[in-house]
Amino acid sequence: MAVREYETKRRGEAPEDAAGSGDGSIAAGRGHLDLPFLVLTLIMLAIGVVMILSASFARAYYTQGDPMRYFMRQTGFAGLGVALMLITSRVRVSMFRRAALPVMILSIVLLAIVPVVGAKINGARRWIDLGVTTFQPSEIAKLAEILLFSSMICAFKKRMRTFKYGVAPFVVVVALLVALLYIEPHISASVIVVAIAAIMMFAGGTRLRWFAACGALLAGGAYLTVTRFAYASERITAWLDPESVSGDQGYQIIQSLYAIGSGGLFGLGLGQGRQKYLYLPMEHNDYIFSVYCEELGFIGAILVLALFAMLIIRGYWLALHARDRFGSLVVTGITSLLALQVFLNIAVVTNMLPSTGISLPFFSYGGTALLLQLFEMGIILAISREIPVSGTG
Amino acid sequence: MLVERGGAELKTNRVILGRTFVLLAVCGVIAFAALSVRLYDIQIRKHEYYEERAVEQQTRQTTIAASRGTIYDANGKILAMSASADTVFLSPYEMQLYGEDPEFVASGLSELLGVDKASILEKTLDTKSWYSTIKTKVEQETAEQVRAFKEEHGLKSIHLEADTKRYYPYGTLACQVIGFVGDENYGLEGLEAQFDSYLTGTNGAVVRLKTERGTDLLFNDFEDYYDASDGSDITLTIDSNIQHYVEKYLAQAIADYDIQNGGACIAMDPKTGRILALANEGKYDLNNYLEVSEKDRAELDLITDPEEYGTKLNEALLRQWRNKALSDTYEPGSVFKIITLAMALEEGVVHEDDTFYCGGAIPAEQIPGRTDPLKCWRSAGHGSQTLAQAMQNSCNVALVNIGMRIGAEKFYEYIDAFGFFERTGFDLPGESGSIWWRDEVFLDADNKSQLAAASFGQTFNITPIQLITAVSATVNGGYLVRPHVVEQITDQSGQVLLSDDSAVVRQVISSETSSIVRDILERVVSEGTGVNAHVSGYRIGGKTGTTTKTSEEAEGKPKEYIVSFCGVAPADDPEIIVLLLLDNPTNESGIYISGGAMAAPVVGGILSDVLPYMGIRPQYTEDEVKEMNIQVKKVEGYTVSDAQAVLESSGLAVRVVGGGDKVTGQLPAPGGTVSPGTRVIIYADAETPEGEVAAPDLGGKSYNAAKAQLEELGLFIRSSGAPASVGDVAVTTQSAPPDSSVKIGSIIDVVLIDRNTLGDY
Repeated sequence: MAVREYETKRRGEAPEDAAGSGDGSIAAGRGHLDLPFLVLTLIMLAIGVVMILSASFARAYYTQGDPMRYFMRQTGFAGLGVALMLITSRVRVSMFRRAALPVMILSIVLLAIVPVVGAKINGARRWIDLGVTTFQPSEIAKLAEILLFSSMICAFKKRMRTFKYGVAPFVVVVALLVALLYIEPHISASVIVVAIAAIMMFAGGTRLRWFAACGALLAGGAYLTVTRFAYASERITAWLDPESVSGDQGYQIIQSLYAIGSGGLFGLGLGQGRQKYLYLPMEHNDYIFSVYCEELGFIGAILVLALFAMLIIRGYWLALHARDRFGSLVVTGITSLLALQVFLNIAVVTNMLPSTGISLPFFSYGGTALLLQLFEMGIILAISREIPVSGTG
Repeated sequence: MLVERGGAELKTNRVILGRTFVLLAVCGVIAFAALSVRLYDIQIRKHEYYEERAVEQQTRQTTIAASRGTIYDANGKILAMSASADTVFLSPYEMQLYGEDPEFVASGLSELLGVDKASILEKTLDTKSWYSTIKTKVEQETAEQVRAFKEEHGLKSIHLEADTKRYYPYGTLACQVIGFVGDENYGLEGLEAQFDSYLTGTNGAVVRLKTERGTDLLFNDFEDYYDASDGSDITLTIDSNIQHYVEKYLAQAIADYDIQNGGACIAMDPKTGRILALANEGKYDLNNYLEVSEKDRAELDLITDPEEYGTKLNEALLRQWRNKALSDTYEPGSVFKIITLAMALEEGVVHEDDTFYCGGAIPAEQIPGRTDPLKCWRSAGHGSQTLAQAMQNSCNVALVNIGMRIGAEKFYEYIDAFGFFERTGFDLPGESGSIWWRDEVFLDADNKSQLAAASFGQTFNITPIQLITAVSATVNGGYLVRPHVVEQITDQSGQVLLSDDSAVVRQVISSETSSIVRDILERVVSEGTGVNAHVSGYRIGGKTGTTTKTSEEAEGKPKEYIVSFCGVAPADDPEIIVLLLLDNPTNESGIYISGGAMAAPVVGGILSDVLPYMGIRPQYTEDEVKEMNIQVKKVEGYTVSDAQAVLESSGLAVRVVGGGDKVTGQLPAPGGTVSPGTRVIIYADAETPEGEVAAPDLGGKSYNAAKAQLEELGLFIRSSGAPASVGDVAVTTQSAPPDSSVKIGSIIDVVLIDRNTLGDY
């Protein structure tokens, strides 16, 4: 019923596909940004920054000599990010649509050069060093993918139901991105790129039968990846029985489970965790949620999961209410990306899935990733501004 | 147009909306539900499993060693005590982490601890290890030096851990009784093992959180402290002075008689079962319990095959740790006749005025089941003898007759009543059980040969502790007591956890019977075969024993003997009972192999020292007064005639050397005691001779001959054992071994035995 009602309103207010046309009329319709979404974002950011302090001070002290080092940097980026988010929220949505193709081209160029100029960490070149900070081009590629696919779906409209429009162009773009990520190599980013494409196509109306075909194709690809790459198959073994694996993979997941498990119902108390004293690797980035669970227990974990769920549900709510299809698809894409990252990160630290390097949005240490995260939230907020006041009721 | 577009739009929109709802449900609800379930599983259901493992790796437990209880003798002297010591260990991991020089650390520790440098260097190679022991039980002083070395050079890889070390102030004293503890502070032998749970106490611990690198956590001073509770103290019934005397005489006997398999001696209070001393030869130093005797060491050093060396070393260690008095069984021989006597008197089958005839043997046909005549040790026979004389003579024929009168069934009833069928319940580990004929063999009415042999102590095996306990019952008024070495166990708050178990087990014979047994045993020493155990001034009772090891004889091995003597004193009201066993003397010593000739004088010697120590005053008979050794008075500076008068009046003879008026020197030196009638030499203006002479071999010589021979060399005699006035005494052992050099004027102690008593009894 609610859907029908919404559609009726939409038809009345926006009789044509608004995308890219009549900038002035859209600007006239702009309202306030969505407060619940903003507040939830800020809450997550605040919890995340506090956890960075708790999780990182031990390693910062032992390896850098300054317990506040990571915390100070992250706080700085958080401040910068909030400013970026608020600025972005004032940008017109049509700007993003126009930027979609250039951003994608930029991403492809960066992905193409990163295997050459990128900093080599743990045998892979995924990072570009900017001097003051580093960033992963794959992060930008994900956003570019969302923007480009949204605008493609809007352009193709009902032709999305055909293979020629609804499948082929998307697969070409994804294949190009995955090929470039393969060179780094960067499996986890590939997984997300593929998953985001699937979500966008799904939301955009691609016929379901093609998903079955692509699914089979992906399963074959995944199988090949696992068997071809030694480091991938090691992770599978470590996942299935972490206590039997002597190497770093098994150790990492065991330490994570010790941290989460020893937290119990109420946890050891904020700052009182013990696993961060160099037992748990990557305690302030990929495994920060383990430290959080150790210190704040099952109750704290459920609270954070609930906040994430609320943020994500609010995101989809905004997508459902967006003024136009482009905005709706972008919000769906970014929200799904957020949900995907949260799910994959927590599933990995709890050993539901084999270990991959996926950080936890708002929590994991990493300046540019946080900036980009908040930039994406800014895009959603910008889109939320264009929802007509009556429509938000 | 608008409617048409709207229709397509509507359809597409509916698809998008529907699919966005699906995404909302999957990404916003289902995914989080799945994560919540997973977290519930880890954090709630498996919480304890993970917590346990996490805590295990996150904590460092430092042990606070509980101090082990002290062992005291009856006088409160410390026999075993614990003191702090340290374990020094290295952390090769930290050595690498902090870049410390293994060479430098190894040579420093090697010098301080006396550990081989190469072996330390080898340990530093295992850089993953946090704990590699360099030396345990490092004494405080050395540990301090290690600490100083560590501080001075800021070495983080060297660590010390508190431990305790056991000290035995008297070294070898009562070693098989006390026992020792191993490296892990567990009692391994003797009391240390038997009462380990009392002595140990409970270790405490400090639990601290640590980082993965082993250091303390930042901003976290969590510390859990568990107090150590020290072990309880044990006070023994053993008196270290008596123990010392017993060990001294036992060791001397082993040397004098060339004893091959060691010996054992138990001294006990017969009324309570309190062990006053318990000694075994050979001994070992409790502080170095892995070190074997010099003799064993010399033999081991000749072995080149490592396997054989290991076996032999093990054998030697087990031998020296063995408590023969408890663990070795033997055929007691004639000492057992006391038991036969007691049961016969109690049953009323013999009386003091009964007479027994011994013609040297009992014909085989008189003992059903026997195929050859049963010979007495004296083949000529003892003729007609009273009951007391039969015991004095240790006459086998008489004892077999007495045994026959008792009968096999009664005999076994008493054996049971005297506790020979079961262990005594002694409070030390390693007590063996006895070996007796099965009932159907022993009680067989058609075969009395077992009963006959058992009557004089053969064809069964018992432990020395069983025998001394049973003999105690025969002399203490008839009560079987439980032998024990622990007086009490007290915890650190002074609470008594276990106290002296002097309770009587049961009464076996009447006090009247016991009184007759005491009287007869006294006569065995005063008039019979036990005369060599005589101690001037004291009433000693006792019985000799000489056993051939029949089982080994049967195997065709060379004949081996166990000679023994059991003595009680004072005979009218015994306060101490001593059982001595010497296992396998050889002919090397030239002394007749028998309990009377070998064991009796040793027990006499022990009693001569222990009885005065126990505060029992000597009461000399007239004869004994005549025999008493005399202290030589100082006469230097006296005129010759005065000196002569003084010395002669004290019962000594005098020889004057030199022509002066005044005494310028005397031999032996004043203060020493000598046998009565000794000729003291005084020097008047003549030089007192100095220098050394070789001690003569006095073995087997008569008292007078020995005295004369010594005086010839400027040496003097002092005797003990059988009284010199007894017709035919001979020297058996002497304090200075033959051919050893002794100073002129020395007094040589000799032990006399009665030559009439020589025989296998």
